[in-house]
Amino acid sequence: MIAHRHPRSALLAMLLVIAWLPVGASDLLDLRGIEAIHGDVDAGKTKAAVCMGCHGPVGVSPVPTFPNLAGQHAEYLYWQLMELKREARPESPMTAQVAHLDDAAMRDLAVYFSSLPAAIPTQGTTSSVRGSQLYGEGDASAGIPPCQGCHGRNAEGHPLAQGDAHWRAYPVLRGQHAAYLAQRLKDFQNGKHTLSSNDRIMTPIAQTLDDASITALAAWLESPTR
Amino acid sequence: MRHHPSVRSLSSASFVLGIAAAFAARADSGVGVDTWRANKLDPAAGATALGCDERGTSWLVEGQHRSPTGNLYACPPPSPQPDEHGDWQGYGVLQIGALGTSGDDGNALFNRYVDWDSGLILGLLDYTWERPADGTYANVRASHISDDDEYYQATFGRAGSYKIQAFLRDMPNVLSNNAKPIWNGVGTNRLTLPSSLVAGASTAADVAAVSAATPERRLSVRREKQGVGVSMYLTPQWTWYANVTDEERKGARPYGGPFFFNYPFADDGGVLETTKPIDDATINLNGGLRYAGTTWRMDLGYSGSFYRDRYTRYTYETPFALYPVVPDAVSAPLTTGQMATEPDNDYHNLKAAFTRKLPLNGELSLTASAGRMSQNDALIAPIDCQGVFGIGLNGSLELGPQNPFLYDCSKWNTTASLSRPTSDMRIDTTLVDARIVLQPTSDWTLRGGVRLNREDYRNTYLAYNPLTGQYGYVSENGAQGSVVPGESGIFDPLAGASAITRVSSLPLDMQTEEASVGADWKIGAHDTLGATYTFNRYAPTNRERGNADDNSVKVTWVNRSLDWLTFRANATVLKQTGDRYNDDPYGFTYSIGLPGFVPPSGGVPAHTVDALRKYDLASRDERKINLMATVQPRDDMTISASVRGDWNDYDAELGRQAYNTLGMTLQWEWQPSTRTNASLYYGYDRSGLRLANVNELNASGSDPSLGGSTYPELGRWWADDRQRNHNAGATLAHDIGRVRVDANWNMLYSRGTTAYTYASSLAPAYPDPGVTGAGGGAFPSMIYRVNTLNLGITVPLMERISLRLFDIYERGHISDWHYLGFDATRVFDHRVYTDGGPESYDANLIGLLVTIRL
Repeated sequence: MIAHRHPRSALLAMLLVIAWLPVGASDLLDLRGIEAIHGDVDAGKTKAAVCMGCHGPVGVSPVPTFPNLAGQHAEYLYWQLMELKREARPESPMTAQVAHLDDAAMRDLAVYFSSLPAAIPTQGTTSSVRGSQLYGEGDASAGIPPCQGCHGRNAEGHPLAQGDAHWRAYPVLRGQHAAYLAQRLKDFQNGKHTLSSNDRIMTPIAQTLDDASITALAAWLESPTR
Repeated sequence: MRHHPSVRSLSSASFVLGIAAAFAARADSGVGVDTWRANKLDPAAGATALGCDERGTSWLVEGQHRSPTGNLYACPPPSPQPDEHGDWQGYGVLQIGALGTSGDDGNALFNRYVDWDSGLILGLLDYTWERPADGTYANVRASHISDDDEYYQATFGRAGSYKIQAFLRDMPNVLSNNAKPIWNGVGTNRLTLPSSLVAGASTAADVAAVSAATPERRLSVRREKQGVGVSMYLTPQWTWYANVTDEERKGARPYGGPFFFNYPFADDGGVLETTKPIDDATINLNGGLRYAGTTWRMDLGYSGSFYRDRYTRYTYETPFALYPVVPDAVSAPLTTGQMATEPDNDYHNLKAAFTRKLPLNGELSLTASAGRMSQNDALIAPIDCQGVFGIGLNGSLELGPQNPFLYDCSKWNTTASLSRPTSDMRIDTTLVDARIVLQPTSDWTLRGGVRLNREDYRNTYLAYNPLTGQYGYVSENGAQGSVVPGESGIFDPLAGASAITRVSSLPLDMQTEEASVGADWKIGAHDTLGATYTFNRYAPTNRERGNADDNSVKVTWVNRSLDWLTFRANATVLKQTGDRYNDDPYGFTYSIGLPGFVPPSGGVPAHTVDALRKYDLASRDERKINLMATVQPRDDMTISASVRGDWNDYDAELGRQAYNTLGMTLQWEWQPSTRTNASLYYGYDRSGLRLANVNELNASGSDPSLGGSTYPELGRWWADDRQRNHNAGATLAHDIGRVRVDANWNMLYSRGTTAYTYASSLAPAYPDPGVTGAGGGAFPSMIYRVNTLNLGITVPLMERISLRLFDIYERGHISDWHYLGFDATRVFDHRVYTDGGPESYDANLIGLLVTIRL
C-alpha cells in the first residue's frame, strides 16, 4: 500500500492546483431573485422625453408595432432595458437608445412609465373565441399552456405581483398592441430572445403556437374583453 | 478467522486508464432491482453523475423547490447538450476507469450485492438518440464492474406512441467468505465425504481434522436476469403492455442437514451444516390493457410467474454413527441424508380495476382479482437409505416382529411408498376491493372502503405408504427412530397404534375482511384534522381461533400555521379480539385422528400448554404515535425531526407479552447553492420484546394446563429481547473553483441483548452450571458496527472530460456469540458447521475514473 501513496499524493496535489482555475461567468439575466425597482419618477419623466416619439407622450404608443409602456410593472421595464442593452442587436431601434443609459436612468424611466395610467383597451377582436380559450385554458393537444397562469386571469399581471418582486418581471398584457404582441411572440418563437430566465420560459411556449393562434391571442389581448 | 489481507494493485490500471465518476456506495437495499438499473458503484442509476444545474429547478422560481411537507428536492441535473446528426440528436456519458481493493476485501459483508474486483471497469455508458421531429428515441445503458456484476439495457420508442425495452443483468450475492464445507460436490445435488472420512463410521476427531484442513472458500449466488417489455398507445386513452423476464440463480449457500439431536446425546446424532445447491429459474410474465379517460380509468391485466428448480432434492453423507438410547439394542447404520429443494410453482393472476369519477369531486374504485398457485412436482421418496433404518431392539438388525421399530429401507426409499406420485397442491386467491372518495367541499374529504381477500387451499397430502400400510413422515432421515425407539415418525395401526406423529399436510385457508371509513377536515387555512376507523376480520381455518377482529381508530393532524414549520402528527389505537382460543386445532394432521389409533395408557400427550397464545391471533391492545416536524430556518436549509412509538400489550400469560418500539430521527440539510451542500443525520431506535413460556417436564403428560403435571410452574421461563440501533451520517460536497470535492460518512451501530429468567433449573434446556433453583442471565450482546467513509474529488480536464479520484474505506465490527469458538474448530462433537459467520473487517476501495460527455 505504501508504494501507492506517493503517486496518490502527487495526483491529489495536482488536482488541488487545478481546482483554483477560474470559472466561466454566465451571461444569463436571472430574474428569479430580483429586488423591487426603485427610482425617481420626476427624473424619469425628464429622461423620458426622448422616448415619447415612439411610445407616446403618456406611454401609450401611437404606433402599433411599438409597445405601450404606461402602467407596466417597473421591474419588467427595467429588466427589458437591461436586456436590450445587453443584446445590442443592430437591427433594433432601441439599441442606440439604451446604449447611453446608466443604471440609475433605467430605474428612473422604469418607475416613471410604471406610474402612468395604463392605456384603456379600445382595439382588438373581442369575439376571438380561440384567443380567449388559448389564454384561459391553453390547448393540451398542442402542448400550449394557459397564459393566465403567469399573466393573470385578465392579463393584468401575475396574481402574486403585489408580493415578491420577481413576479413583476412578468408583463401586463391587457390592452397591449396586437401587432407588437404578435411580433414579440414570433421573436420568441424564432429564438431571438434568450438572455433572461423569463425568455427561457417563453421561448418553448411560443414554439407551440402557430400563426393563427398568435394572431388570435394578440387580438384578444388588445381588446377590452374581461 | 479474518480473510488474509491482500493488496490488489491499482497502479497498472490507473495509468492506462482515466477515470470515471464514481459515486459513493450507499445502502444495499434496492440496489439492482428490476426497474432501477443500477449497481453499488452507482446506486442512483446515473443521476448523480450529471451534477446540479446551476440554473435551479425552474425558470419560474429561483432556488430549490420543496415538497409539500417542506423538504428540499434534490437539485436537477443540467440539460443535455446534444450533438446533431441529421434528423437525430444524441447525448450521453461514458465513465471508464479502474478500481483497486485492499485489506479484508473478500469479506462477505463488504461484498454484499456487489463484486468489487480490482481492475478495469465500465462505470457507466448511457447514450440517448432523439429525433425531435416525431419524438422517436433510443437509449443504451450499461455498466460492468465484474463478470458477476454488470447490466446492459436498450430502449427504443416514440414519445406518446410505443416503447420497447430489453435488458440483461448479473448481480452477485456473497453469503459467506469463510465457508469450510467438509464435503465434495459443493454446488451440486450430491455432497460426498472425502476419502479420509467414512460415511456413518467416522469420529468427531476425524471430521474436525478434515474441517481444519479445508481451506476457507466463498459461497455465493449469482443472479442472471434478462427481460423484454413493450408498451404501446392504441389511442390517446388506451394502452397495452407486455413484459417477460427470466431470472436464473446459480451457486450454493449454507443450509441444514439433520441427523437427530446431538446436545442431549453425546457422541450421537448429527447436526450438519451442509451446502445447498442453488440452480433455478423464474419466468415472470405480465400484460394488459389500460384505459385512462376523463371519467373512467381501467386496468385489465394478467400476471404469471413460473418457478423451476433444477433439483427436487440434494443428498449428503453423514460421517457419524448412531447409537440407541436403550441398552442391548443396535441402531441402523445410516449414511445418507436428503433435503428437498423448493418445489416448482406456477402462478396465474387475473385482475380488473375500474375507477370512475363521481359528483362531489369524488372517485369510486372497484378491483377484482383471482389467482391460482399450483405445484405438482414429482415427490421424493421419504428416505434415502439402503438395508434398514430404525432400532434393532434385540441387538440385531433383522426385520421381524422381534424388532418392531426396525424398518425396511426398500419399502421407504422409493416413490412407490408415497400415497401419490406428485404433490398436486393448489391455492386459489380471490380479492374484491371497493373504495370511494368524496370531496363535497374544499374543506372536507370523505373516504370509505371494503375489501375481501381469500386464500383457499384446494388439496391436502396424506402421508400413507401403500407398500407397508403405515402412515407418517420419516423423521430426521431415519436417525431419530434409529436412536430412540418409536420415534421414527411412522404410525402403524397394527404394530405401533399408539405412535403419535404427523401424517398430513396442513391447509391454512384464510379469509380477510376489511371495512374503513374516514374523513379529513381543513379546520382553517393552516390546520387539517383527519380520522379513520378500520375494521379487520381475519378468519383462518385450522388455527387457534376461527376469527380475530381488529378495531382501530387513527387520528391525524397537519399544521402549517408557521411559514417555517410543517408539523404532522398521528395516533392510532387498535384492539384485537377474537372468538374462543383453541390451543390444539391440529389434531387431524396427526395419527390420533386415524382409524386404529389407540391412545397411550397415560392419555394423548398435550399438544401444547393451553395458556400459550400465538402472537398473530392473541388478543392485543396497540397504541401508536408518530410526530414529525419539518423546519425551514432559511430558504436553503431544512431541519427535520421525528419521534415514533408503538406499544403492543398482548393478553398472553405465555407467548409474546409485549412488543414496544420507540424511535427518533434528526436531520439537517443545507443547500446554499448548487456548488455546496451538506447534511447531518442521526437516528435512534429501540425495541423491547417480552416472551414467556414453559418447559414440558413430562413429555408424555396429557394435562395441558399451566401449573399442571405436564407444565408445572417450575418449568416457566421468561425472556427479554432488547435492541438498540444508532445510525448517523454526514455529507459534504463543495466546488472549489472547477473542482468538486465530496465526503460522506455513515455509521450504523446495532446492539441486541437477550436476558432470561427461569423458575427453576428444570426450565431451560441448558441451565447455568451450579444453579438449582430460580435463576437468570443474559446471552452476550450481539453487536454490529459499520463505519463507511467516502472521499472523492472530481476535476474537469476539458469541456467534456472530467477526472474523479475516490476512496471508500469501510470498517465493520461484528460480535455474534453464535460463532464463538469457530476460530479453533467448526466441529463440536457431532455438530459440524460450514459457515464461519460474519467477520469484522477493514477494507478499502480506491477508484480512478474518467467521465466523458458524449
